[in-house]
Amino acid sequence: MNLLVEKYTSPQRQSKVAIGIILIKLIRQTIKAFWPILLSLFFGTRSSNSFIDYVGYIALGFAAINVLGSILTFFRFYFHIEEGAIVIDKGVLKRSKVNIPFERIQTINFQQNILHQMFGVVSLEIDTAGAGKAELTIDALNKEEAEAIRRHILAEKKEIIGNDPALEQESIKEEAGETVLNLSISDLIKIGVSQNHLRSMGILFAFVFSTLNEITDDISGLVESQVDGYESFLSNNKWAVALISILVVALISLLYSIISITLNNFELKLTLKKNGLKLVRGLLNRQEISVSKKKVQVVSWSDNPLRRLFKMYTLQIAQASSSEAAQLKSKIKVPGSYQLQIDKVASNVFPSDFYKEEYKNRVSNLLLKRIVVLTGVIPALFSQFLYFAIEWYCLLFLLWIPLVWLVALMYYRKRSFEFNQELLKNNRGTFGNMYELLQIYKIQSIQIKQSWYQRKKRLANIVLFTASGSVKIPFVDLNTAESLERYILYKVESDKREWM
Amino acid sequence: MNESFENLPVSIDTLPELTPNNFNTIERTYLKVSLISNSIFFAILMIGGICLVYFNDDIDRPLLAYGLAIGSVGFLWLFNIIFVSKAFPKKQYALRARDIIYTKGLLWSTRTSIPFNRIQHVELKQGPFERMFKLNSLKIFTAGGQTSDLVVPGLSEEKALQLKEFILGKTAIDEPAS
Repeated sequence: MNLLVEKYTSPQRQSKVAIGIILIKLIRQTIKAFWPILLSLFFGTRSSNSFIDYVGYIALGFAAINVLGSILTFFRFYFHIEEGAIVIDKGVLKRSKVNIPFERIQTINFQQNILHQMFGVVSLEIDTAGAGKAELTIDALNKEEAEAIRRHILAEKKEIIGNDPALEQESIKEEAGETVLNLSISDLIKIGVSQNHLRSMGILFAFVFSTLNEITDDISGLVESQVDGYESFLSNNKWAVALISILVVALISLLYSIISITLNNFELKLTLKKNGLKLVRGLLNRQEISVSKKKVQVVSWSDNPLRRLFKMYTLQIAQASSSEAAQLKSKIKVPGSYQLQIDKVASNVFPSDFYKEEYKNRVSNLLLKRIVVLTGVIPALFSQFLYFAIEWYCLLFLLWIPLVWLVALMYYRKRSFEFNQELLKNNRGTFGNMYELLQIYKIQSIQIKQSWYQRKKRLANIVLFTASGSVKIPFVDLNTAESLERYILYKVESDKREWM
Repeated sequence: MNESFENLPVSIDTLPELTPNNFNTIERTYLKVSLISNSIFFAILMIGGICLVYFNDDIDRPLLAYGLAIGSVGFLWLFNIIFVSKAFPKKQYALRARDIIYTKGLLWSTRTSIPFNRIQHVELKQGPFERMFKLNSLKIFTAGGQTSDLVVPGLSEEKALQLKEFILGKTAIDEPAS
């Protein structure tokens, strides 16, 4: 046994830095839970001075509780390594002792936020195979010791299970590999510029309005008091004001996108290894995710009209995981990758002989008709009842039909799927493109769905469930759907390779 | 048949087909279970409607209001009874050598197929009404998430146990040697 690991055979506390890290975690939780109250108290002081002391005491109280909590949590957290298991004894009010046998441990990942980086420690996250909350975090550990523990656990696990190929993946973290992707600052800016700004704007608006709502019941009153004295200027230059506000909002959204992208993906590095992939990224919160090839369920890449200008895609690699929440966390997401890099990743993760263009199976054009009728024609016709309210202006709503038709046509044109004996690719998108690639033998179950309309027209929707989400193909000819179902079942049932 | 199928290493025609005569219907008594559990929902809804009228002082013609409350819920209830009974025969399952298939749905039909070698675990479940009629539901879990989990309801106790044993036996055999 390694000397570094030796120390952990008797119950140990974490690195002392953990107090600070736990404290920050607690403060963040407190602020998250109480920020509206804190903020409104803070703003409320403007009216009467006696409140200032009041707010100060409350803040002091919270701070004291948090400091006390983090110290208690630190001193009541012990862990040690036993024969074939890691044992954690923790909890101040609710005490718990968790014993995780090595063979149940699926992944061991490291996380570093800025505090971790400053003190050279890492937080150790252990994910187990069991469903639900079997996850475990050690907040701060010396980096070398954490690595020694990981090596030890993986080596022990190998010994317990025998020469299981399932374990090779864990060696990914150690061995060197080829770097496929390395985001530079200019890449990050390109990605930030081509983010979905509507989404950023939505997040900002939601934040601003919910904040305002908490502070005051009278938002329009607040705005009026702020612009007091400029009324004549505002009413004389309506267009200029509108233009400037749009520009300001756009600029803020753009800045928000660029900053959040840079923080999350700073020095992103994706490395290909013999048995899998490793991703490292982040400025304030350094993240490290490793995926073994075998566990990869779906590789998908997507763009939007803006990002297409830079010929960039958002690459996502989803792996099998115990719970849906863990699935999100263990997903590899690279916002700026070029086609060449995607090809490299896909042909590395999946058998490269089968990663190629195949015949594009189209879906039935009745899909287009259905979308236009259900979301275009019917609402437009119903809106004609508005005649009683707005008279002939209601005819304007008829323009909705060609609009829907146009969008639906864009969607329909991109809708297709390709497959060969090993892989299935689903192509879709309306304004952007989305491609999903999966290995057929890793499919968990298949559903063939038909509405009464589809039964009449001999069409069906196919839903393929994998261990990391589902893939849907609508309006497929029933014969094709059933043949595909038969082939997939045959493939899944006859293929003896491991799927996770 | 398009060219993607011709490029496969096996001919689709040689693969086993799903024929309707493979399928088994579930126990007839399960219809009663669904009707009873639905009736509780509608009864509560009806009581709610009656209370709404009873405790409201502004209603001029209480008889009409009662009629509307009871009538509308009653109509929905009747509709539900007809729909559930019509949809009942669509609930069918089939066991094949290497997978289990379950179909359901009258207007929107769904057919779910799960290969035995992808099943994580199997569970027998019995609600209070199912217990009254000595029925069981078989729940099949895969790694594909909640939406892909399969529930075969309305199985007699011995049949359910038999199915469970059968599937567990199959999953054990199909496990890759490790």
